[in-house]
Amino acid sequence: MPHRPSLPRRPVLLGAGLAATGFRPVLAQGIESAEAPRRTERWRDLREAIFGSRRAEPAGEALILTAPARALDAAAVPIAIALSAEAAPAVRAVTLVIDENPAPVAARFEAGPGGDLRTLSTRVRVDAYTFLHAVAETADGRLLETAQFIKAAGGCSAPLGGTLEAARQRLGRMRLVLPEGPPGPGRAVPVQVAVSHPNTSGMQIDQLTRLSIPAEFLRALRISYRGAEVMRIETDISIAENPTFGFALQGEPGGELRVEALDNRDRRFEAAWMLVPAG
Amino acid sequence: MSAPRRAILLAGLGALAAGAASGAASAVEVAPGLFVLPGLHEEASADNLDAIGNVGFVVGREAVAVVDPGGSLAHGQHLRRAIAAATPLPIRHIVLTHVHPDHVMGGAAFADCGAEVIGHARLPEALAQRHEFYGAMLAREMGAAAAGSAALAPTRLVAPGQDEMLELGGRALRLTAHPPAHTDHDLSLFDAATGTLWLSDLLFVERIPSLDGSLPGWRRVLEGLARWPGVMRAVPGHGPPAVDWPAAAAPLARYLDALERETRAAIATGIGLAEAPARVATAEAAGWRLAEAYHGRNVTAAYRELEWE
Repeated sequence: MPHRPSLPRRPVLLGAGLAATGFRPVLAQGIESAEAPRRTERWRDLREAIFGSRRAEPAGEALILTAPARALDAAAVPIAIALSAEAAPAVRAVTLVIDENPAPVAARFEAGPGGDLRTLSTRVRVDAYTFLHAVAETADGRLLETAQFIKAAGGCSAPLGGTLEAARQRLGRMRLVLPEGPPGPGRAVPVQVAVSHPNTSGMQIDQLTRLSIPAEFLRALRISYRGAEVMRIETDISIAENPTFGFALQGEPGGELRVEALDNRDRRFEAAWMLVPAG
Repeated sequence: MSAPRRAILLAGLGALAAGAASGAASAVEVAPGLFVLPGLHEEASADNLDAIGNVGFVVGREAVAVVDPGGSLAHGQHLRRAIAAATPLPIRHIVLTHVHPDHVMGGAAFADCGAEVIGHARLPEALAQRHEFYGAMLAREMGAAAAGSAALAPTRLVAPGQDEMLELGGRALRLTAHPPAHTDHDLSLFDAATGTLWLSDLLFVERIPSLDGSLPGWRRVLEGLARWPGVMRAVPGHGPPAVDWPAAAAPLARYLDALERETRAAIATGIGLAEAPARVATAEAAGWRLAEAYHGRNVTAAYRELEWE
């Protein structure tokens, strides 16, 4: 063993134990009504910080944000964002915000000339019970917003799925999933790309040193097909380990899908696949 | 169980908060000198005091070893009274089988007894990462009944591949630290005197297992343990206080096998992380208690472990 933590010689309680007095009960059911005004104010502040003074309209059916009501794993919560067929052509960017996370802007998807944002998905870390917001920006500058409340906690400081060492060894490896095969003429298909990267939040503790693991995370992805940019994604520490993104791809089959990723240490990762129909 | 012991335990319950009695069980002597306080198949709550896992103690000629000090201060106090009712011998060892709160957060009830605290070599890191989070979680689930609950820091570690013996006087417990299985730091005990293998959460019976280590690893550990000679019975972390070994592991092995097989199939066919919980191993999950609370988490954990293999 390279490092052996020093052990106490007599049993000691970890922490101070839970406080016996001054205990503040927490409502576990529903959205805590006492918190509602604070949460509303938090979103107003965040929206202003991200989008400035532009007014946002409720998105209604144009923008649907899907998240589990209660996370199965707060360190990898699957999120889906869908634009209606009518809204999709006009939307140039979609931003995903996790209000109570230390870095609330989880991702910003920007449509390239060769793509649209009709279906998007990713996996995020959720640090505390929170509202998630999705905001779509149209080509003419409108903002459409929608929200979901999620019960999840501890996702930003949750330990890595495996060891950091194993994560480093496959750093930058990419996976492509095409459950319905390559796109066909006039037929959009779901695509999922994933980058092996620890995407550490800076809030996780190293197994050996017990110090915080420095934040090491993807900053940007660029996805292109047949030489045309499909989308750019700006990302941050709220994206789960091994960042995974889903989107719809249309175009002629037989082209090359290329993914380029950049992390906060200026490391570049790249992969390309020829999307050839099976058989 | 003899009437006097039960009377003593019930008297002890008077000290607990009103409504807490429903969560309290009596210690069952599953083999001579080896006692299990059975847990309930429930989620932690103020009513059950987080007494949801099997915890207990082993009595030798000279000393007592506690195996998991309980899920809350009140549960630990209840366990301590059960020990006092069974033997006047001192508590010299507290074994923590793994980090989960229903097994360790009662440590506060044993903070003053001067016992050594034993865990897997990776337990300190797991406690460092999770103890604060578990404290907050317990407070959320139990409210004021969680007050005072905390784990004890280990004072002695057991490394994988280096079994250690725990001497209680005329009786020695063999401690084995396992590679990642239920968690990445599972510790089991074998009492050769009675042929009892205390597996804690390496074995789930009736209550759905929770996966927090390695799915293929857990299957390998179970296969290895099934071949151990001289085992008459096992103590599961959840389920009856004692069960036949290895027969009682069959449902767990079936569940883990289905979970691994069907998760691999889901990944191969492009079923996403969001959809997998409702589609993977649901038939095998249906027979377990609390499946609705844990099966989806298990699929999520399995998926995340297996997708980058």
